Amino acid sequence: MTFRLRLASFLVVSLALLQIITALLVYEVTRRQIIGEGEHQLALAATAFSRQLDDVSARVADNVQVLTLDYALRSAIAQRDRDTALSALRNHGRRIGATRMLLIGLDGAIQADTQAGPALERFPFPDLVDLALEHPEAAVVAWSGRAYWIVVVPVSAPTLIGLIAAAIPIDDAFLRHIQEQSTLPNTIELAAQASGGAWAVVARGSEGTDLAAQFIAAGDGWPQVPVLKKVDGREYVVSTTHLRSSKESPPIVAVLGYSLDDALRPYRSVGIAWAALLALGLVLGLFGSLLIARGVSRPVEALAATARRIAAGDYRPPEPLVQRGELGELAAAFANMTQAIGEREEQIRFQSGHDAVTGLPNRVAAEAAIQQQLSADPGSRGVLLMVALARLPEITKTVGHAISDRLMRDAGERIRGPAADALIARAGDGEFLVWQRAADQPRAIALAFRLIDLLGEPYREADLAIDLAPAVGIALHPVHGAKASDLLQHADVALFAALGTAEPVVVYDPVVDPHRPERLSLMGDLREALDQQQLQLHYQPKLNLALGSVDGVEGLLRWQHPKLGMMAPDSFIPLAEETGNIRRVTRWVLAAGIAQAQRWNVHGRRLRVALNLSARDIDDPELPQRIEELLTVHGVSPDAIVLEITESAAMSKPEAALRVLRELADLGIDLAIDDFGVGQSSFAYLRRLPVRELKIDKSFLLRLAIGPEDRTIVRSIVELGHRLGYRVTAEGVNDRATLDYLAEIGCDHAQGFFIARALPPEALAAFLHARPLPAGESMV
Amino acid sequence: MACRSRVLAVLVVAMLPIQAMAGELDVRVTDARGAPVPEAVVTAVPRASYTSLPAVPPPKTHVIDQKNETFIPYIEVFRPGDSVVFHNSDHTRHHVYSFAPARQFEFVLAPGESSTPLPLAQAGVIAVGCNIHDRMITYFYVTEAPFVARSGDDGRARIGLPPGTFDVRVWHPRQRPGSPDNAQAFTTTADATPAGLAYTLTLLPDQRGAPDRERSGY
Repeated sequence: MTFRLRLASFLVVSLALLQIITALLVYEVTRRQIIGEGEHQLALAATAFSRQLDDVSARVADNVQVLTLDYALRSAIAQRDRDTALSALRNHGRRIGATRMLLIGLDGAIQADTQAGPALERFPFPDLVDLALEHPEAAVVAWSGRAYWIVVVPVSAPTLIGLIAAAIPIDDAFLRHIQEQSTLPNTIELAAQASGGAWAVVARGSEGTDLAAQFIAAGDGWPQVPVLKKVDGREYVVSTTHLRSSKESPPIVAVLGYSLDDALRPYRSVGIAWAALLALGLVLGLFGSLLIARGVSRPVEALAATARRIAAGDYRPPEPLVQRGELGELAAAFANMTQAIGEREEQIRFQSGHDAVTGLPNRVAAEAAIQQQLSADPGSRGVLLMVALARLPEITKTVGHAISDRLMRDAGERIRGPAADALIARAGDGEFLVWQRAADQPRAIALAFRLIDLLGEPYREADLAIDLAPAVGIALHPVHGAKASDLLQHADVALFAALGTAEPVVVYDPVVDPHRPERLSLMGDLREALDQQQLQLHYQPKLNLALGSVDGVEGLLRWQHPKLGMMAPDSFIPLAEETGNIRRVTRWVLAAGIAQAQRWNVHGRRLRVALNLSARDIDDPELPQRIEELLTVHGVSPDAIVLEITESAAMSKPEAALRVLRELADLGIDLAIDDFGVGQSSFAYLRRLPVRELKIDKSFLLRLAIGPEDRTIVRSIVELGHRLGYRVTAEGVNDRATLDYLAEIGCDHAQGFFIARALPPEALAAFLHARPLPAGESMV
Repeated sequence: MACRSRVLAVLVVAMLPIQAMAGELDVRVTDARGAPVPEAVVTAVPRASYTSLPAVPPPKTHVIDQKNETFIPYIEVFRPGDSVVFHNSDHTRHHVYSFAPARQFEFVLAPGESSTPLPLAQAGVIAVGCNIHDRMITYFYVTEAPFVARSGDDGRARIGLPPGTFDVRVWHPRQRPGSPDNAQAFTTTADATPAGLAYTLTLLPDQRGAPDRERSGY
């Protein structure tokens, strides 16, 4: 319900209520007044009615009396000339309106009767005759079911010779006549009691109303005081009067009704005027309130419309509807707000789409823009270059955000040089994105190298010269992706590849993408592989340089994938670590390795089996117990196995690693640090670990034959390890020179292709059988 | 009143020759309310024939005057054979009539005129009226009764009666119709002790006032 409607209805309803209540009050008061007035008037009317009857009586009596003085009549009566008397009576009866004239003898016998029919012997109302002897008598009687006025007058000629009775009917017409003469709004009815005692209406002054019948039907007798009676939906004040009558006549009652409706009629025009006034007031009130409400609601509606417009993103200022008043202020505030919101949204939109530092579009905005272009023209070619300044995090940490921000701005400017018509955006912390439309791979590579050149110039500021170390990853549309998001992702992959290698520019190669979606399915396959025995351990011999014999092996995991073929651990172990599958793999490796150690043990081969633990495994507090159980189950002594962890794994979670490794050492198991030398471990930390063996990372061994620095490093590790009480193993021994050098510097074990690849257990047995003493041979 | 006393005087004169009264009857006439009724005619008729009855007087002529629209007197007692003469002393004409069975007549008297004598042969009551003036009425009481008296203003009538038994009746013109015969037997006593009879009459209103509107019941 709108404000306008509510205000209008409130005004109108309250006005109407007020008027109606007042009208009801006035009506009720008037009605009571009229009832009281009616009762009073009825009392008067009853008196007046009686008096009127008496007046008529007197007049009729006079008339009759005058007629009795008629000499001819007198003589006819006196001389008993019945026919003459009768005709004279008839004649006079007509004159006075009597329907029946009777000549009554002094003895009460009827001597003449103007009404034909059965002869009446005696006058039925002798009491009237008795009274009439003294003076003319009149009474209302019920006679033959009708009401009559009987006037009895003595006839003298000159002495009393008889009486004349005139019967004048009191019929409806008569009552009507009386009513018409009355000034009262009343109705008169006569009721008479029949011989059976039942009452019947004998005359009615008004058509339609039937008051007496109501009382007769009710059977409660006639009211003594005026009462209120409802007849046919009309209200009357009713009083009754017993009429003076002959003793011989059934009682006759006059019922006088005072019509309230008629009495109220004069007030009706007042009522109509009132109703008209009310209607006028209502219309005026409605109109006025609508006008007032419109004055309020129209600007409000306009403001609401403006608000909706603003919500929809239209920030044009609202039209100035109101100049003054509270609404005017509101409208002004609205205009200000609209403007402010518009500006702010503009700012927010810019910020959401742009990088605050460089002022370039951000990655999201760029992706959207690229996608828009691609959607508009899917067949077009384009190249996406992802340019990274690899050292930016380091730079920021070193010289602070202010300088790194300026550096990024500068880098953005440099990129703009050769790629003026390209879309340049800041894609990440140290990354830019360059989208060149209508370009192919050679153009992309050329552009990439141009950018590498430009960014290769150190950033200079004051006395600082900062090397940016740029790298570029390239993805091509539509070859490397149809969608902008795919292109971005693949360019990122290529960039990542570029960052990890010496190549500063890498074009995306889906084949080497380690982030391909297929990897996820690989994990599902891995779980299947664990269940279906697709995994195997191959064992690479460890040559004891001092003895010249193989006295240990390292278990290396192999996966015979049903579709992809044999897979190296590098291709699935990192993934298993990421996806939490590594512990299951490790359990399998431990179980398989320890079982194999037991088999060799049974066959009398003393080979220490080295097994690899993942960084994730040393989080597992149940690991030592599990290994102990496996050893117990297979009856393998703890010194028959060696557990290897990488240097980085040991370093990543020093406390947890320390706890688990101590427990393992307490079981009597030797621990080895794998890939030693490339991580950031210190001997100080190593000293805290219960480690018995170091395995020198193969990167040192690969160039051992040609690089003097690596020789020094290897020799130093060996010497230092020995001094600290560690055994030292060298991995990646691929040629005799290396092997010889290791033997020369006293390295304990050597491992590598030159000695043997990792072999399945059967092949290893054959290898050992063929070369029971390779060391001796080699040492020679 | 003068007229009445004259009639009384006539009666008394008529009786004078009769020997001394054996007894005097005192009749007392009242109406229903006990008020004395004047102008009632009392007749006493002996049950047996008496020798001592007064001699029948010779027929005489009664003059009824009409003055101020009134018959004077109101009641006149006649013996059959008497005559009546109406005299009009008014300045208007009078239309004198009677429908009485005993004697019916009708004539108009000019002012100052007198009628011819009308013999009244038959006993009975003759009501005489004037057709012009309804209030005018006079009653002729024509009777053969030997003793007749009229009550005075005190409602009493005294009749000297010889010894014997009499039927005493009282008549009044305004007696209600249908009133029973009010004859009472009266026997005179030897010692002539005055004795009385009482009569109560039911009377109608005096018609002489009617039909004056003011005086009527309406």
